[in-house]
Amino acid sequence: MTHTQDKKSMLSQGVFIFGYLAVLTVLEFFVAVTFEAIALLIVVALVKAALVVYYYMHIYKLNAEHEGDHNSYEYKSGTNRIGLWLFLISDSFVFGGLLVMRMNLLGLTRPNLNPTLGLAVTSILLISSFFMNRGETMMSNGDRKGFLNNTLITFLLGLGFLIGVVAVEWRLAAHEGLTPSSGAAGAAFYMMTGMHAFHVLTGLIFLAIVWFNGRRGLYDEKHYPVEAAAVYWHFVDVVWIFFYPALYLIGTVIL
Amino acid sequence: MLFLLIAGVIGYGIGLGLDTLIMKSVRYSAPVPSAFALLFAFTAFFFGIYGYRGITRGLVYQIIGTLVGGLVVTGIRGLMGLSLFGGFFFTEPAWVFGGIAGAVSFLFGVGVMSDWVKWARGMDTPEHHEDEPGWEKYFDVSLDHKVIGIQYTVTALFLISVGGLFALIFRTELAASGLQFLNVGMSLFGQNGPQLYNTLMSLHGMIMIVSILLGISGIINYAVPLLLGAQDMAFPRMNAFAYWVSVPASVLLLMSLVLGGFDTGWTGYPPLSAKAPVGMQMFFLGVFVAGWSSILGALNVIATVLRMRAKGMTAWRLPIFVWAAVATSIIALTATQLIGLSFQLVMFQRLLGMGFFDPAKGGNPVLFQHLFWFYSHPAVYVFVLPGLGVISELLPVFARKPLFGYRWVAMSSLGIALVGFLVWAHHMFTSGMNEYLRVPFMYSTLLVAVPTGVKFFSWVATLWKGKIETPTPMLFVLGAVLVFLFGGLTGPPNATVSVDLHLHDTYFIVGHFHDTIFGGFVFPFFAAIYYWYPKATGRRMNEFWGKVHFWLMTPSFLILTFGMMRIGLLGMRRRIADYDPALGFDFTHLILTICAFGIATSVLIFFINFFHSIKHGEKAEGNLWNSRSPEWQVPSPMPAHNYDVPFEVVGEPYDYGLPGSKYVEFVGEKSKH
Repeated sequence: MTHTQDKKSMLSQGVFIFGYLAVLTVLEFFVAVTFEAIALLIVVALVKAALVVYYYMHIYKLNAEHEGDHNSYEYKSGTNRIGLWLFLISDSFVFGGLLVMRMNLLGLTRPNLNPTLGLAVTSILLISSFFMNRGETMMSNGDRKGFLNNTLITFLLGLGFLIGVVAVEWRLAAHEGLTPSSGAAGAAFYMMTGMHAFHVLTGLIFLAIVWFNGRRGLYDEKHYPVEAAAVYWHFVDVVWIFFYPALYLIGTVIL
Repeated sequence: MLFLLIAGVIGYGIGLGLDTLIMKSVRYSAPVPSAFALLFAFTAFFFGIYGYRGITRGLVYQIIGTLVGGLVVTGIRGLMGLSLFGGFFFTEPAWVFGGIAGAVSFLFGVGVMSDWVKWARGMDTPEHHEDEPGWEKYFDVSLDHKVIGIQYTVTALFLISVGGLFALIFRTELAASGLQFLNVGMSLFGQNGPQLYNTLMSLHGMIMIVSILLGISGIINYAVPLLLGAQDMAFPRMNAFAYWVSVPASVLLLMSLVLGGFDTGWTGYPPLSAKAPVGMQMFFLGVFVAGWSSILGALNVIATVLRMRAKGMTAWRLPIFVWAAVATSIIALTATQLIGLSFQLVMFQRLLGMGFFDPAKGGNPVLFQHLFWFYSHPAVYVFVLPGLGVISELLPVFARKPLFGYRWVAMSSLGIALVGFLVWAHHMFTSGMNEYLRVPFMYSTLLVAVPTGVKFFSWVATLWKGKIETPTPMLFVLGAVLVFLFGGLTGPPNATVSVDLHLHDTYFIVGHFHDTIFGGFVFPFFAAIYYWYPKATGRRMNEFWGKVHFWLMTPSFLILTFGMMRIGLLGMRRRIADYDPALGFDFTHLILTICAFGIATSVLIFFINFFHSIKHGEKAEGNLWNSRSPEWQVPSPMPAHNYDVPFEVVGEPYDYGLPGSKYVEFVGEKSKH
């Protein structure tokens, strides 16, 4: 019985973590709107990222002992996990470089964007992470139907984020005169959101692959691919946790 | 060969036809016919020796992908009412998109993606693919790390000869002051002589860098799983991907030569690189794609070392070369992304007018240099660390003594890697960055000398009172120590701000880094090839010609770099096609050119020896070098899935000459006791 309780507590843990993330995001938004406290914004972003990395991406699984010989599925999944995390470390240097670029070019100013719209797309992405976590947990509990439904919701929310940024936000910004060639602010904005949107797109492709294969009946025993797609999806979320304040909250608006 | 010529002519004809159609005039030496000739000739060459499969199919797909990608963008431009064709047939965005589409098509064409596509469709694939015996497996996708290691090595040797050829061309031009044959009157690939000089000089740099990255990957891929006792790398399919992605990258780099070239040097600084011809974009794209080869290869190495070690192989019993491979992979995994990013930013600045590095739009050109050097300085440690690992690995074998200070040497590799991340701005003392950054970066740079010094002490102490044997690999190891010593000693003066202000962008720098790269990569690379060649083929390379190779290359090279440093101190600028005869450098330059040809001759001897020995070398199937390392305890050439019987590590790796000591014990042996 303790085993099933464990599974349930994993689900309720996801709910609690999402609650923390939501509160922090709202706090972040009001801190930025009411008074300039960049240090606080950085702390909030770091806390949010740490929550996602630990509870949603299960970074502690890297440390798990793997019994059995080198050819068992479990041992190989452990190797794959290390490979994926090494890739994420490598990829985070791209986003780190983009943040450096943004700070160097813009400093304590930011492009003229609508913070409310930013909050909206951020919320969509955070909620999608929540459903991704539910889907992954359900698959490892053997609940295929729940996994399929939650992954589908994640996919649709992710698609909503992509449309929100590329189709709505880019169009509004261009309408306001912020185009890729209009200056350093436009260049930084389109490059950062564009690079992130490209990663969202690849994440959506992985989700679609996992969803179709899940519907076909795979992943009963070997559910590492589900975990990999989920971890990658959460990584994209973590990147946005830093990009959102960097583009929408920090500093004063330049026109 | 016949195919090469015929297809080259056909491709030239097609290109000429298209070019004439667009430009309304016949231009025989223009870029487009040359580009087609290059692509067709390459493809046909592989078709002639291998038929339509593997690499040939990849190249055909790449050509088709490039054309389709280019035409798609051209079509979109047509719909938007923009100009359809530029001076290089396609417009710049069309070439860029075509280049990306071509590289991706190559990967699908060569077949390296097929297993992943099957996985995505929910199908399972066998763990191992059996390779066909003989030489043909080297032209197709193989998952065996030994095959991939040899593919890497041969590609690296090919690129080294291409880059070396470029060097010989512009070195000949430099032999006397004035412009002799690369003069303003000539025209090739849409460039006149001095422009072609710039392109060749820039491409020499980057092609050599790519060849070094492939070369270290070659040694690491071949040796690391064998040293660890693993059956293969952790991710065999990604290993194959990392190799095959470097082939379209090389094609893109060569395309940059014929598509108008570029004149920025290998560094590609804006604002000049924001204005150079289309070749610049092909260069950026080629480096970006080659970077993925390096990143994914490094990821694979780290995962392999973490997860695939034999029983009993603890951290302090790892072979020293594995430590070096890990240190180098840490840099390649992380920092490489920054050069990709900085080049992407320039590409987007050119394509969309995004003002990252354009001061008129609020951009900052110095930002590019920071992003660029954040990779490109640690990159030199990527180049030299595996080579230094080879030195430390081979010295105890040929000195018949334990490696002095094993733990210190292992840690010094990691130390160099970590300190290497903190020194990048020493390339920018004269670039107009904030002056208060100079002194901290000077001290962090000088700090690199400490772990490097640890390695030197270890080598000298290992040689001390050893029973030194000098077959060819050992000669190259000793040469590497000597040459790297000169490279190392000339480093701290450059790192010192006051001296650097005088030496920046002179031939002194050129001499310095050729010393470090030859000492840290080229000599150890040759040593590793001579050393592991019998393991791969079951035959050894000719000893006499190996020694001729060494004794011709070393003095030529030392005179070359000393000459470079001499004229550099006297004020010879780097990267220029011509110099004032009044400076009095003509004689030195002539000597340098003769030495360059000496090195080229010695490498030619090496190539002949390399390919001749595959069939005709002396048989060497046992433990030729009397090494303790596990891969030499089994017969050569290595069996397909490495060790039939797993081994267990029972002692220290380098206890040469200590009676009764043992490093590895095969599981079968143990039961006999």
